[in-house]
Parts: sequence; structure tokens; C-alpha cells
Amino acid sequence: MTKQEQISISIEAASQRIGTTWPLYSFVTSNPLSGYEKLPFEDAVQEAARFLKSNAYPSAAIFKQAFDNNDIDCTVLEAMLKAHKLSQTAEAYLNIMQKEELTTPKKVTSNLDVIMAKWLAAFMDEGLAEWQMPNKEKGFYQSWKALAIYDKDFGNLKVEDLPKTSFEALELVLSKQEVYNYNIIFSTHIGALPGWTGYIKHRIATNSIWQQQFPITIEDYLAVRLTIAYHLGIPLEMDTTVSPNVNISQLKHIWLKAWEATFQNKLVSDLKQDQITGVTKVEKSQLPEAQLVFCIDTRSELIRRHVEAAGFYETYGYAGFFGIAADYQHYQEDISIKSCPPIVGSPYKITENPGEVLTQKVTDFKADKKIGKAKKHILTRLKNMLPSSFGFVEGAGAFYGLSLVAQSFASSSYFKIKNRNKHNYESFCEPIISYNGGDKNEQDITLNEKVGIVKSGFDLMGWDSFAPLVIFAGHGSHTANNPFGSSLDCGACAASPGRHNARLLATLANDKAVRDVLKTTYQIHIPEDTVFVGAEHNTTTDEIIIFDAHVPASHVPRLAVLKENLKKAQETATSERLKVASGSVELAIKKSQNWGETRPEWGLAKNAAFIVGARSLTSRMNLDGRCFLHSYNWKKDPKGAALAGIMGGPMVVTQWINNHYYFSTIDNNKFGGGTKITHNITGQFGVVQGNGGDLKMGLPLQSLKASDTEMYHQPLRLTTIINAPLERVETILKSNKHLQMLLDNEWMYLKVIDSTDSNIFKTYSKGFNWLSETTTVLKQKIDKVESLEMVAH
Amino acid sequence: MSTTKHLESLNKKSALSQFLISFTWLIFLGSTAVTIFNFSNFPTWNLGSYFQINGFSMLLWSVVSFFSAIVQMYASNYMKGFKRKQSFLLYCIVFSFAVMGFVISVHVVLMVLFWLFMGLIMAKLIGIDSEWKEAQHASKFARLNYLGGVFFFALSVALLVCSTGSFNKNEILASLEGVPQWITIVAALCLIVSAIIQSAIFPFHRWLLSAMTSPTPASALMHAGFVNGSGILLALFAPLLFSANLLLLIFIIGGLTAIIAQFSKLMQVNVKQKLACSTIAQMSFMVMQCGLGFFTAAVTHLILHGFYKAFLFLSAGEEIKNSLPTKPDIMVIKPLQTIIVAISAVLGGLIFGYVTGKGVGLDSGLFLTFIVAITVGQVVYNVLNQGALGATQKLLITPLLIIAGIGVYALIYNGVTVLMQDMPMVNVPITLTAIHVVFGIVFLIAFYIMLSGVYRKVPWLYVKLMNISQPVSKSIVYFKSK
Ligand SMILES: [Zn+2]
Repeated sequence: MTKQEQISISIEAASQRIGTTWPLYSFVTSNPLSGYEKLPFEDAVQEAARFLKSNAYPSAAIFKQAFDNNDIDCTVLEAMLKAHKLSQTAEAYLNIMQKEELTTPKKVTSNLDVIMAKWLAAFMDEGLAEWQMPNKEKGFYQSWKALAIYDKDFGNLKVEDLPKTSFEALELVLSKQEVYNYNIIFSTHIGALPGWTGYIKHRIATNSIWQQQFPITIEDYLAVRLTIAYHLGIPLEMDTTVSPNVNISQLKHIWLKAWEATFQNKLVSDLKQDQITGVTKVEKSQLPEAQLVFCIDTRSELIRRHVEAAGFYETYGYAGFFGIAADYQHYQEDISIKSCPPIVGSPYKITENPGEVLTQKVTDFKADKKIGKAKKHILTRLKNMLPSSFGFVEGAGAFYGLSLVAQSFASSSYFKIKNRNKHNYESFCEPIISYNGGDKNEQDITLNEKVGIVKSGFDLMGWDSFAPLVIFAGHGSHTANNPFGSSLDCGACAASPGRHNARLLATLANDKAVRDVLKTTYQIHIPEDTVFVGAEHNTTTDEIIIFDAHVPASHVPRLAVLKENLKKAQETATSERLKVASGSVELAIKKSQNWGETRPEWGLAKNAAFIVGARSLTSRMNLDGRCFLHSYNWKKDPKGAALAGIMGGPMVVTQWINNHYYFSTIDNNKFGGGTKITHNITGQFGVVQGNGGDLKMGLPLQSLKASDTEMYHQPLRLTTIINAPLERVETILKSNKHLQMLLDNEWMYLKVIDSTDSNIFKTYSKGFNWLSETTTVLKQKIDKVESLEMVAH
Repeated sequence: MSTTKHLESLNKKSALSQFLISFTWLIFLGSTAVTIFNFSNFPTWNLGSYFQINGFSMLLWSVVSFFSAIVQMYASNYMKGFKRKQSFLLYCIVFSFAVMGFVISVHVVLMVLFWLFMGLIMAKLIGIDSEWKEAQHASKFARLNYLGGVFFFALSVALLVCSTGSFNKNEILASLEGVPQWITIVAALCLIVSAIIQSAIFPFHRWLLSAMTSPTPASALMHAGFVNGSGILLALFAPLLFSANLLLLIFIIGGLTAIIAQFSKLMQVNVKQKLACSTIAQMSFMVMQCGLGFFTAAVTHLILHGFYKAFLFLSAGEEIKNSLPTKPDIMVIKPLQTIIVAISAVLGGLIFGYVTGKGVGLDSGLFLTFIVAITVGQVVYNVLNQGALGATQKLLITPLLIIAGIGVYALIYNGVTVLMQDMPMVNVPITLTAIHVVFGIVFLIAFYIMLSGVYRKVPWLYVKLMNISQPVSKSIVYFKSK
């Protein structure tokens, strides 16, 4: 093996130790420890702690809140503690955990980090600076090298001191090192700034336009960093010996499991209750007024419940990209964005077509767009140029003063004035699908592919019969002055709003040719008078906007009734969510428009379970926005293909989301974004805290906690519950090694409501040992405790 | 407190913040009413030999209470859940009091004390997160700077008190003639140092660039109500600067820093640092205006800049964008355009001179008119070069922008001038010297360098400017506690 190969292999292995940092304009919630998933959870978090100096488990304070709140069942906890021969009381162990955490932060070699962060931020900037780092197009190492000779931060370097390529630079600094040391050296140095190195990984993985024009690699990063370390005289081997208290880790692991078990027991017992009542319900005799499809997102659970309560409506849960693996290009914009899960490729592209006849609306839209661009350009020039910047401030200052007043006292009017020229192009455009990368006018995709997209939707959801109105509702958030806005959008659409995919699916399902094939080839009969309509669930205000420009007159009255009822649903839903009796809609709107609001909505916080099955399973339950819901009907899926799709796609995505929330909560400064109030946006794509340093990689404190100390999201690993024949689930797991690994290593849990065994709950444990009794036993215990408590009171 | 209670508290403003906000708005309304009522002929009210209320102090009361109230309104939402939210709001109000106290003080000891308070509270706001070690470093560093500023201010007034025998600022300034020239010069120099520390002017700019550990609304307050202290200080002591004959020095310090900071701004990749560099440039320009003898223009500038910067800080969360790489603009200007640009620049200058009364004679006012003329030229050039706009649109937009800009500015400037009319030596144009002309040329060269983009081809300049505009290392990563 050559030296180069050895170095490359070590770099490859070392970069697995950090996660991927996503840009905030498409903030995908992914597992920051995905590189450790091949290890059991317990070991993985310890291993990560070594390199990233991160926490592994919730703090004692969080456990205490859960315990005081009865979210951790004392009986369950003490039983588990006893099983590990730990016989003191829960409170005693809480004290022990608390004491352990009273350690002061350790001083680290920071000079290297400061210099690295400076150059990385300068190089990776995506357009914030007018004056870009010189020679960026030559790549990170080369452009740094050209500037390093002027940088007196680490002595007077001469051009001759710096090797030609990053590989030679690495070779030079590693000349005194043994090969087996490479991995550990690389790991610690990559792990020193995991936010920035994670973003390098993201750029490499997506090969974004910025990466194509200004390439950067982990090898470049290491070459620059180790060269600087070399010249600063810092030893390359950094301290990786953390002394984790094994006992404390084990203790916390037990506490976490007890918390999870408490949640699961409650959920299972509620589901059982619901099944019992579910059996007695009358078979539905007539079609609902309308059917509405929402994303599997946990926020859909709330709105679905309220929509169902507002009228005779049926709702479904389906991944919010609506099965369309595509990129999306906004009307009259150059950039196309990913609009399907990051784990899926994008063979298609969705664009907007204003139709043959150029209406006034189209011309207006284009003109406004142009003027907007011109205005922005002129303003930037005036602000940046010398000396017009001084004159500009004097001439425009008063108008900024007025804006201050307007923003503070009349945010909604300000909002309206600011967006007065913003037309929704949905009113005159129709989405069209084409192959990605091709000429959008010529490459209309084949009919079969269109049929496939529509059919797979109905297959996965196990659709029975069609109401006259079917609404596909994507979701998006609407917030002001919020760098983390995209983290509140649809995770299934790679953190963009899902409305475009929803509109496209509606268009395809309305297509006469598509319907013909569905009928003749697949025996899916869509009634003549069924109309599909795209919509958007605004998760910040719970408003549902229906894109009804193309709805035939025959359906308008029906739609009007639906809109009325959706308004009612908005009122009750926001009232429940915001915990106010009246004025909830106004409050929600205010939160979405207020520029000083750091918690406009809660996103997917509190998520803890993923339920795959018919709505009848959960329709009577208030799941408190804690569950992802995917519609599935095992009877309609004899071959298990649909279930395999759900388990391979949405189940993995929900695990990403859930793990992201877990780690961002337990170590908000390392895996999350820290508090929003001191964020400083860097390079138009990320944030740093205060004066700089590492790029933040995850959700901010305000998305996870009710206050600096009070928890909101409960850091629990995901529990997936599937209603299907056990054998079918097992077959799918056996052919999907990744899922099996996640389950075996306890990155998530799986329970099956076995439809072939009188719907008994069976829990997966390592190596396909399905446990069916434990839960019932625990449930009895809970009942016993509760009855004892009743007596005591 | 239970979680439900916490969630409910997220829906409303706390009683304390409601009280403080209303209280601050009351101060604003009160001082604005007094200002407007007495506008054309503001009397001077003295409270013993300690305080004095005049048009200028009431104007600044309105301005400070305005910023403070806006910031508190923002913070009452923004800081929800932050464990030191209450302290934050209290610091805001106490800070406003310190500024208000400063501008009405005539007893020099009180002035120094209020100046000290302003600094101490601002340092507190920078380090308000007491568990964050980097923030503590930034706070310490800022405090050190402020204490330096207070020291020089105190030294300056001590010299003056010793040589005039009075503790009253007005009396001191009235009896400067009897003070030996060297004392006046030393006192003025100390005052200048104190002022440029407050305004983060080179070489004291680092504290401002390291102050991003403060919560966003605190930054807004800092950039709108604290850094511009030098404008106020210099205006209050204008006669001292005249009698020490140091205006030219002020002009040069301001001019040089303005250019350096404006170039540094171009390379900043963090929003808040970019805003900070812009603030330094704007403050330098304000100091330049002082150096030209137009203290009233400087005060106008600090107010308008406050609006501008407060807005930009409070909306600093809007800067996330998915964008494509762009090539830098290349300057293309056709002969006809040159003529149009030149004519409108001259016209703009003339309008400005006419409505503000500045720059009509051959004095330092000409320099300010010159800046306005270039700005107008820039506006016209940029509008002309926008392919997106039609000819009629251009014809309409350009004069509208210019007239609105100059008109509103003139209105405010003239208002400020009226309110400051009882203050000695605040609106005295000085004779145009060779240095002014040289600086005019330097500005033109800098303008050309910026426009043509030649600076992009000078890597050492990039590194130099990058390094001088870095925050203090220990305030970036030190303990990795955040
Ligand atoms: Zn979604």
C-alpha cells in the first residue's frame, strides 16, 4: 500500500466519526452519529464522546424533570435498576448523577481552532462577503497556501516552506508518525471542529455548485490544520482520554430505558384500548365528504384530529414528498432545490408552467421579480461602496426608523406591505414533471412513470374508495427573521415546503390518461367526479391553503364547505397547541410574523413513535403530536412491497429525525445549535455562536426546550409500531441489513401488532427474538401501582 | 414551575417587561413632546450646577428612549426562556438612564461617572451569559477598553478643572482662553482618545468586533446607542477642540479609519461582524464630520445611523439564502452615462447645499457636499445600469430617490441644528486646507479602487485586513463551553 493510499484510507475512516452538517437553507435533521450506527447505542455514544467531547445521555436535571413529571415510571425504573443489582432509590441515583456533572469545562488547545475557523469560514462563504477569498477556485489548500505567507498568526512562512499539494503537506507533517497513528490523529483533528468538517462532508456528498467551483476536501482541511499545528509547535496527538464514569453511563442508560419503557407501555395500552373500542364501531356505510392526505410529520397528527372533528372527513398519512423523487425549481428562479428525502436520488424535476396564454398575472409576476432583484442590487452597491455608504445611511436612515416602528407595532401590516408584490404563482401556474438534467420542454416523462407515481401512493396508503374531493396537503412553515426556518419545513422534502409535490401529485391523479391506465391495467377505479387538489398545511398557523385555481365549477360549493370547516379546525388545533382558550389563531399568526419570536412553532419536538397502520387504529386517541403516522393496510399489500417501501424509506427518515432531536437535546451546544439569542449567521448557510468558532450543526435550544432549563422535547429513541403480519415484517427486516443493524444496536425500537396472531403486540429484540409478554406484565404492574395510588389518595 | 406554566408564559409578555416598556415609551413621548413644543426656541433649564436641560439633551432623550423601547419590545419576545432575561431588561433601562444622565450633566464629575456607568453596563450586556467563558473574555476585554476611555476622559476634565478652577462644563468651556495652550492640547487629545475608544475607531476597534457574545438586541442597543457616544462627547466639548486646534487631527483619524473599515466590511463572512465593520466606518465618518466643524451633522448622522443599524441587527436572522456563485460586477460606463452621472452628481450637490446650507461657501462644508455628490452619482449610475428597469421607470425612480433622500435628511439635519443652536461652536465650518483636498482625492481613489475591484487582486491586503478585523482569540474559542 502506498503512503497516499494509507492516508486516504485513514481519512475515510476518520471522517466517519463526525456527522454531516446541513446548510440552514435546507436543514435536514439527520443523526449526527450516523457513522457510529454499526455499534450498539451504548458503545457508540461513549466512542463519540471520546472524539467529540460530547455528552452521551440526558443530564440529571432532565431526568429529574421527567421523573417528577411521572414520565419515568418509578416501578419500571426500580425494577430495571434491580435487574442490574442497583438497589438504592431512584432519588439517590439522581443525586449521584447530579454530583457527577459538576465539573468545569476543560481548557483546550484553541489557537489552532481559531485560525482554522477563520480560514474555513472565509473559504466556504456562499456569497455573504463581497470580497471573496482570493484564488478560491484553486481549492482550499492551494488558496490557503497562497495567503499563508502573509498570515503572521503562526510565524513567518516562506513559499518554500509549504509543500505543493495537500498530500505532500500531510506526508511532511506525518513523517515522524507511525501509520497506525494516522487514524487517531486524523480523528481528533476532524473531531475538533465537527461542525465545519461536517459541512465539508456535506459539500462533497452533494457536490453542490459551490463545491464544484470552489472544491474543498477533508484532506485539504487536515493538510492546512496539521501544517499550522506543525508551525505553531503543537503536538499532533491530541488528548482523547476522557475518563467517562462507567457507572454513571450505565446508570443513565438504565434511566433512559426506563423512560422509554414508560412511554411505550402507555402508548401500547392506549392503542389496545382504542382497538377494543375500534371493533365496536359501525362499519362506515357512505363515503366521506372529502379525503385529506397529510405528511407523516408529527404535526399532522394534531391537524388530522381536528380536521376529522370538524366534519365527515377521512385523513391519511403519507411521506410529504408524495412519492415524487424530484428536485424543484421555483417559477422564475435559477436555483433548483431538492424536494424529496436526501436518501433518495432525484431522477425527476418539477417546474412551473404558466400555460400558453400569457396573462396579466404572469407579466406582473415577472416584472415584480425583476424590480425586486434590481432594488436589492442597487441597495447592496450603495451600502458597500465608499463613500456612498455614508450618504446612503443619511438619506435612508429615517426610513429605517419608520420600519423599526412598523415592525414593533404593526408586524402584520409591515408584513403585508413588504410582501405586497408577492403573487402566489400557484394561481396561474401548473406544476410539470420532467427528467432531471434534461430539457424540460421536451422530456415529458412517460405515462407509465406517471401512473407508477400515482399508483404507489394509493398502494402505500392502502386506499379503498375515493371521495369526490381528495386533498393532498404538503406542509411548510412561515416564520420571520428565523435562520432555522427550513428546519420547520418538510423533512421528507429535504427541508423544503411540500406543497409543490402535493400539487404535482394532484395534477397527475387528475390526468385522464393516467386514470385510464390505472383503471384498465391496475383495476384502480377513480370515479369520474373525484377531483384531486393540492394544498399546504402551514404548520406555524395551522392554516390549510388550498391551491384551487384548477378546480371545476361543479366542486366549488363542496370546496367552500371544506374551507369553512378547515377554518374551524385551525381554531381548535391552534387552541390546543398554544394552550389558549380564545384568540389562538391571531396568536399563531403573530408568532409567525413577529421578528423577535424565537419559538414560532415547535417543529417535530416531542416526537417519539412512528405508527404504521390504518387510521382506525389511532383515530380515537390524542397522541399529543408525538407520533409520526403512516397509513398502511396490510390486507391490500399481499406481497409486502408497500411495507418494504415504508420501512426502507419513512422509517429510516423518522429515525434520522428522532436521533437528531435526541442528540440536539442532550448536548445542545455540541450537536445542536445552542441558543438563538447569540447566533451569528455565517456565509449565508450556517450559524456560529457569538464571535465565531465552530459551525453549529443542529437544532437550536429554542426548538427543543421551553426555557434554558425546562425541557420540552423528551429525548427518547423512536418506537416504531407496525400493524401487519409478523412474518412479513421479519422477511423485510432480513433483507434490509441496515434496518436490522439499527434495531439490533438499539438506535430505535420496533413493535409489531401481529395481524396473524389476533393483533398481539410483539417487540423486536436482537436476533429476531420477539417478546410478546413483557409489555402486558408491565402494564399489569402499572395498573396495580395506579390502583394503589388511588387507594392512598 | 410546571411545563404547562412555562408554555403559557411563552404566549405573553411578563409583567416586568410590560411595565418597563410602557415606562420607556412614556419617557420617549414626554421628551419628544417637550422637544416639539419648545422646538424653535428651546430654553435652557438649570438644575443647580449639576444638570442642564436644553434642546440637545431632550433630543437625545427622545432618541435613546426610542431605541431602548424598541429593543426592549423585541427582547421581551426574543429572550423568553433565557435565564437572565429580567436582568437584561433592567440593564437596558439602566443603560438608557446612564446615557440620559450623561447628556444633561454639566458637572464634570457626574459626566465622568455616567460615562463610566454606560461602559460598565455595556460590558455586562456583552457577558450576560455568565456560564459562557468566551463571553466573559469578550466582556472583560470591552470593559478594559471602556475603563481606558473613562480614564482619558477623567484626565482630560481633571486638567481643565485644575486650570480653570470650575467643575461646571459650561464655565470651563467659557474660560478656555485663560488656559495655557499645552494644557488645552493635552486635554483635547485625552478627550479624543476617550471618544474614539467609545466609537471603536482604529486602533481601538477590537472590542466592538469581539462583542457578538451579547444577545442580538443588546448589539442593536450597542450600535444604535453606545458606540456613537463619541459624537455626543465631541459635540459637547466642541470649543475645547477648536481652541486646541485639533480638528484636522480628528478629521484624519476619522477619514483613515472610514476607508479601512469600509474595505474590511467587504470581506466579512459573518453577518454581525460585517455590521460591526460598517458601524466602525460610519462612526469614523461621524468623527470626520466633527473634524470638519459640523458637530450638528455628526449628531444627525449618529441618529440616522442608529435607526439603520438597529434595524439591521434586529433583522440579522434573515440572512440565510440558497444562492449561486456570482462573478463580481464589472464597471461599464458609456460616455453618455458619464455625462448624465456627472450632471446629476453636481445637481445633487447643489440641492444638498441649498437645503442644508452646507458647502455653499469655500469651506469644509464643501467636503460633505462632495460626499453627497458622489453618492448621488452612484445612485444614478446604478439605476442607469439596471437592465430590469424601463426608461420611464429610471426617469421616475432616480429623481424620486434623490429628492426623498436629500429632502428627509435636510429636514432632520435642520431640525437638529435648530435644537443645538444654543450650544457653542457646534456648527462652524472651518477653512478648507490642502489636507482636505488631499483627503478628497484619497476618497476618490478609494472610490475608484472599490468600483474597479482591483483590490481583489491584492492577496496580502486581504490577509492584513482580515487579521485586523478578527475578534480577540480568547473570545472566539477558548474553553469550548459553547
Ligand atoms: Zn413532512
